[in-house]
Amino acid sequence: MNLGEKIKAYYQEAELYETHGLLVESLEKFRAIEGLIKANQNIRNRNTLLAKISARIETLKKTIQRLDGTKKAPQASPDAQSLMKEMYSFNDPEAKGSSSLGGAIALAKFGQYDKAIEEFNRLLDQDALRLDAAKNILWCWLEQNYGDYAVSLYQKWRKTKLFPPEEIASIQNYFSALVKQKGLNLEIEIDGLESQQTVEPDSEIDEDELLDINSVRFALPRGAREGEKVELEVSFQSGQYIQMIMPRKQKELIESIKPGDLFKDMTFYSSVAIFSGEGYVSARNEINAGPKKGDSSLEIKIIKIIS
Amino acid sequence: MAVINLKNRQIECKIVYYGPGRSGKTTNLEYIHKAFQKQVIGKMISIDTEGDRTLFFDFLPLGLGKIKGCDVKVQLYTVPGQIKYQATRQLVLKGVDGVVFVADSLAVRREKNMISLKDLHENLLKMGLSIRKIPLVLQYNKRDLEQMGLPVMSIEKMDHELNRQLKVPFFPASALSGQGVGNTLTQVLKLTLQSLQNEFNWAQ
Repeated sequence: MNLGEKIKAYYQEAELYETHGLLVESLEKFRAIEGLIKANQNIRNRNTLLAKISARIETLKKTIQRLDGTKKAPQASPDAQSLMKEMYSFNDPEAKGSSSLGGAIALAKFGQYDKAIEEFNRLLDQDALRLDAAKNILWCWLEQNYGDYAVSLYQKWRKTKLFPPEEIASIQNYFSALVKQKGLNLEIEIDGLESQQTVEPDSEIDEDELLDINSVRFALPRGAREGEKVELEVSFQSGQYIQMIMPRKQKELIESIKPGDLFKDMTFYSSVAIFSGEGYVSARNEINAGPKKGDSSLEIKIIKIIS
Repeated sequence: MAVINLKNRQIECKIVYYGPGRSGKTTNLEYIHKAFQKQVIGKMISIDTEGDRTLFFDFLPLGLGKIKGCDVKVQLYTVPGQIKYQATRQLVLKGVDGVVFVADSLAVRREKNMISLKDLHENLLKMGLSIRKIPLVLQYNKRDLEQMGLPVMSIEKMDHELNRQLKVPFFPASALSGQGVGNTLTQVLKLTLQSLQNEFNWAQ
C-alpha cells in the first residue's frame, strides 16, 4: 500500500468510527493521518490536507470533551422517573412503605434529586421511614452542592423538634460524617439545641448590584397546585430580601409555600431586565393588622443569580 | 431476582444487556422491539441519551405467553456502557436473572470488551452473584462492519479472549440488521428459565 492509499484507507476508517460514535478511535486515526502527512514533505496539497485534518481533530476533541464533561445527570421524563422508582423499589415487610423509600433512593442514585427530595419529604410523615428519609434529603442537597441549604434544613429540623433526640443525634452523626467525607467547610452546630434561629443559606449576591425587582415567578413546591408556576408582585425589597403579599383567599397558594423552601428556578422581573436565579423562603407570616389583615406576607432571600 | 408466583402461575424475570459503550446494546433492544411486536407488552423506554449514548438504561417489557403452564414476562434492560456510569450499571444489574454480553467486533474495541467483561464480573460479585453461574450469553456484534473495510476480529479470536474460561453460548450478530439478535435472546431466555426451574421448580 503506497502512502496515498494508506492515508485514504485511514481516512475512511476514521470517518466510519465517527459515524458509529467511536470518537476516540476516530480521533486516533485522524492523528495517525496527521503524523503521516507531517512526516512526508512531498505530498501534493500538503498544507491544505493538514489544515483539514487538524480541523477534524479539533472538532472531535471538542465533542469528546463536551460528552465527557457532562457530570450532572439530566432530568428524566416523568415516565422514566416512575420506572426508576418502580424497578428499584424493594418491599420489606418489617417496615411499611419501605418500597417508597427504595424508590426514592433509586431516584436519588440516578441523580433525579428534585423528584427524590419530593418523595423523601412525603416520607418524613411516616415514623418508620422518617429517619432514613431525612438522611437521604441531606445527602441529596449535598450532592447538588447546596451545603448551606442542607445545614439550614438540619437546623430547622432541630428547631421544630420533628425528630426525637435519639433520631436527631443519629442525623447529626450522619450529616457530620458526610460533610467531613466531602471535605466541606460547614458549621453544622449553632448555639446548641436551644437555638431558635434557623440558619439561612448565604447569598452570593452583592446587595449594591441587585436591581429593583418588580415581580417573581416560581413553581409551587407542594400541595394541590404543585408544579404550577405563579407570579407574585414584590411589595417591598431590602437588599437580597424581597417581600410579597399572598391574599387570604388564595389558601392553596399560601399553604404550598413553607419557610425553608428553596426555589432553584426563579425568574426575577425588574423594569430593565429579566433574570433567573435561586431564592430561599426566609419567612411566611400572617398579617395581623391594617388593610391587608388576614393576608400572608412571604419573604424570600435571593441566594443566587444564574443569568 | 425473578418474581415467581406459583399460585397464579406467573413468572417475571429480568435480562440485562451488558457491554462496552457503543457496542450495540440499545440497537439489540430496538430490533427486538421492532421484530417481536407480538411479544412486546409495553412501550420501550430509552432514558435520555447524550450524543446517542445511553445515560441511564433502556427498558423493554416482553410477554412470552404460557410456557409449561406459566405466564412468563420478561423485562429487558441495557446498561450505559461508558466507564463513568459505574454506579448506574450496578443499579440496573440489581435483581438480574440473565445477562447478554454484547461485545464489539471492531479490532479497536478489543480492550474495551475485556474491561467491560471484567466490570460485569466485579459488579455481579458485589451482588453475591458469580459470572460463571449466572445465565450468560455472549454476542459478537457488528460483524457487518467487515464488509465496510473496517478491521474486525475473528470469531475465534473473540471467543478465545472473552469466552475461553466462561465457555458460554455465543452468537455472531449484526444488531442493525437483526442478524443474531433473535438467537441471542432465545438462548438467554432458555438458560434463564432453566436456571429458575432448577431453583424454584416452577414448570408443571
